[in-house]
Amino acid sequence: MTTTTRPVKVKRTFEQTAWLWMRYSAFLLIPLAWGHMILQDVVVGVHNINADYAIQRIANLGWKIYDIFLLGFAFAHGMNGVRQVLRDYIRNPQTFQVVSIILLVVWFVITMMGAIALLAINQPLGG
Amino acid sequence: MSSMKTTLEGYASYRGREGHWSFLLHRITGLGVVLFLAIHIVDTSFVYFAPKLYDEVLNVYRSTLFGLGEIALVFCLFFHGVNGLRIAYLDLFAPQNWTIEKTRRSTYIALIVTLVLWLPSAGIMLYKLLYHNYGLFGG
Repeated sequence: MTTTTRPVKVKRTFEQTAWLWMRYSAFLLIPLAWGHMILQDVVVGVHNINADYAIQRIANLGWKIYDIFLLGFAFAHGMNGVRQVLRDYIRNPQTFQVVSIILLVVWFVITMMGAIALLAINQPLGG
Repeated sequence: MSSMKTTLEGYASYRGREGHWSFLLHRITGLGVVLFLAIHIVDTSFVYFAPKLYDEVLNVYRSTLFGLGEIALVFCLFFHGVNGLRIAYLDLFAPQNWTIEKTRRSTYIALIVTLVLWLPSAGIMLYKLLYHNYGLFGG
């Protein structure tokens, strides 16, 4: 008896792509988010941070790129996580769609606030 | 609301042991981190939009209450990261290891790695908090 297999191409759904990206971004966020947290919360500490320090850091091109990646991946990962959690509690698909759109708007507005600040600051105070 | 009650009762009474606990801890830590992250992106953007407000927000973050919250936040991000790596690794590279026995073991390993990362960080942060807010250790 012989068996034959026929490869079928199945289009990946949005949820499958989101599932994969939660994992890909997890690998990226380990150095990005942990690095940021260990440096700012543990090594430098909140008592040594002020507007001057933040502006100086954002004005540095290397840290600017680091922060743009961190902002993009961390908050998208987080907001999709919130969406996944809510999907467990919201049974009605229409309600869930409305909630998803609200989350998307919140994600976009907050990400833009961060992105504008990151891109607009290009030189240290008095520099 | 009634489905929320059912869910919470289910969370409390379900006896899934390690898998169940790590699921709950992953959710709680993730929600905690994203809540802080949303606030943190907005307050950091104040450095451009309202620099005076930025320094005022930092004063709030320097308080003892927020300092303790920060130590908890560091635990959340360490645990969520370690456990997230465990999940991503098992899902993408070793799905055959999603068995009850192996999952139990990897859950404990994730918790131990989290503590190894968190305890020294928490110690340093607590030291700085006591130094700046209570004048201990010559502060």
